[in-house]
Amino acid sequence: MKGLGVLSTFIKKEFRQIMRSREMLLVLFLLPAIQLLVMGFAVTNEVKHIDISFFDLDRSIQSRRLMEAFSSTDRFHLVEVGEQDRPELQLFRWKSKVVIVIPAGFERKLAQGRIPALQLLLDGIDGNTASIANAYVQSCVKGFTEGYLRGKDPRRVGYMLQGQKASEIIIQMSFNPDLQSNLNIIPGIIAVLVTVTSMLLSAISLVKEKELGTLEQLLVTPVKKYQLLIGKILPYLLITLLQLQVAVLLAGLIFGIRVAGSYWVLTLFSIVYLFTSLGFGIFISTRVESQQQAMFFSWFMMVIMILLSGFFVPVQNMPQGVRWVSFANPLTHYMTVLREIVVKGSGLMQLKEELLVLLGGGMLVFGFGILSFRKRV
Amino acid sequence: MSIVKVEGLGISFGNLPALKEINLQVPAGGIYGIIGPDSAGKTTLLRTICTLLPYKEGKVEVLKLDALKDAAVIRAQIGYMPQRFSLYRDLSVEQNIRFSARLFGVNGKEYASTLERLYQFSKLQPFAGRQAGKLSGGMQQKLALSCALIHKPELLVLDEPTFGVDPVSRQDFWDILHALKAEGISIIVSTPYMDEAQQCDRISLLFKGKIIGSDTPAGILAGWKGHLYRLETDDPQRLYGYLKEDLRLGDLQLFGSDIHLGSEDALEDAVFEKWQKGCPALKSWQQIQPNMEDVFLKMMQ
Repeated sequence: MKGLGVLSTFIKKEFRQIMRSREMLLVLFLLPAIQLLVMGFAVTNEVKHIDISFFDLDRSIQSRRLMEAFSSTDRFHLVEVGEQDRPELQLFRWKSKVVIVIPAGFERKLAQGRIPALQLLLDGIDGNTASIANAYVQSCVKGFTEGYLRGKDPRRVGYMLQGQKASEIIIQMSFNPDLQSNLNIIPGIIAVLVTVTSMLLSAISLVKEKELGTLEQLLVTPVKKYQLLIGKILPYLLITLLQLQVAVLLAGLIFGIRVAGSYWVLTLFSIVYLFTSLGFGIFISTRVESQQQAMFFSWFMMVIMILLSGFFVPVQNMPQGVRWVSFANPLTHYMTVLREIVVKGSGLMQLKEELLVLLGGGMLVFGFGILSFRKRV
Repeated sequence: MSIVKVEGLGISFGNLPALKEINLQVPAGGIYGIIGPDSAGKTTLLRTICTLLPYKEGKVEVLKLDALKDAAVIRAQIGYMPQRFSLYRDLSVEQNIRFSARLFGVNGKEYASTLERLYQFSKLQPFAGRQAGKLSGGMQQKLALSCALIHKPELLVLDEPTFGVDPVSRQDFWDILHALKAEGISIIVSTPYMDEAQQCDRISLLFKGKIIGSDTPAGILAGWKGHLYRLETDDPQRLYGYLKEDLRLGDLQLFGSDIHLGSEDALEDAVFEKWQKGCPALKSWQQIQPNMEDVFLKMMQ
């Protein structure tokens, strides 16, 4: 009973200090909003407004129609070319990312029922964008050709396209039919937010007591180590959970992303995961002397954790050694879980393996953090 | 009855010995001073007494309890004020005191009555709502003292409480300590200021991790053997060089622009006049009573 009193005093004090510092409140609520807004809109795998230029050597009705097919979507942005320009130079001079050369006789070949060849030049500096642009161009040209043939002689379409492929593949994207990047990115941002807030704030708040000497004062009181740690940690656990609510709410309001799965499962996983990130925070605080150092080490850890979590680069693309590191990275699992719950609507049963991994990792890291925290100077 | 007993205590940080062979007996009910220059080991010694530092060599008993084994019990019965101001600067005076009280389990009426008495001596009541970080140095020290006293400890340990505080506030602070002593609280206080040694009932001189003397201030001063002269000069460096190099006198200390010269035998004016001829920088001389600093500097050698 007395132990609880001390604990609640501690928690009250912590909240009082948090409420008193305006920076802290900004970090807690404004930052997630901005991060979600900026990253949610800006970070996208979809490629839009690719600069494209055409060298039309055919100058026919059909070649113009082909160009119109490209300019009618927001994926491409048509760049005008002059008489003096040459296809390669368009790329060299950074005027366009994609150049299509329409050879003379394009319309004639189409009319004869043959499939005319087009030359496609791509700027390969950004490999990702280039391959996506390539795919867009392919589908655009295919759509145009099919449309032309259908209008001309529907019966011949199948025959005409047979030369190109043995059987047609019909693609159906599950869970995210439009391949919206948002749906993938936003759960990722939420996972990152939760990590940043909990790890950084817990490390900083503990080190702050060390730096200002208040820890020394606390240590001579009869406060138990567990009271001290819970008193310092619990407020940040609660605040991070609150921040999670804000983020989920904003994701729904701004991007229309609703949690497909159970909201409670999401919260459960977040609490389990928080033991890991708070544990890291405690551990960092025991190893450094100042808030600056704590900041530096937390960022260092977080950058590695975020880059290896599959947030930007899929884990499957990494070399084997790094994949093991990625597997050992708790954020990887939390990110997977968040995406599963938010996008797919997976339940607790489907995620029980991840739950065990996160639980095990959490206990390990948290336990280690607590053991390294000594109630001595 | 001694409230703190230290026997053969030794502490090292890595290979650096911080305290060597410390023996200390602090009687209950007085002000005990640990006097020494910076880096003598004062803070280390006080932290050990407060059970904050583990030790391997020797034995430390506080309130008849072992500082290693019974740390939790000891901590509940002592008040400790670290060297640096270590309260929450962003909390108000009253919030800081209440926080300390709750941690020590002081509640309700007991808290109210103690708080009132603490306000009486500290005169902090008008500033109860002010943030601790916005108080003056002297007031911060009084607030820290209040927090250390909220649970009515038997022993109060203060690490350089008057460091960086103006002379008036310093005297204020010592007046409070004397008042506390009158109420029966035992106090251990460390300080680098020799003049504050006179305020203590007993003192230990700490130098380079060793205690080089323990006694009452009067006892320490009485330990001075021989005579002491103050030599006034307009060129201390030159006179010092003359006395040290040419006359091979050993017992010399520079005190600002004066030189203190110790001697086993009484020195006649004729001796000084002879020196004056050798070194005209010597202006006048006078026999004086040794102060704490003279004694300390001599003991250091």
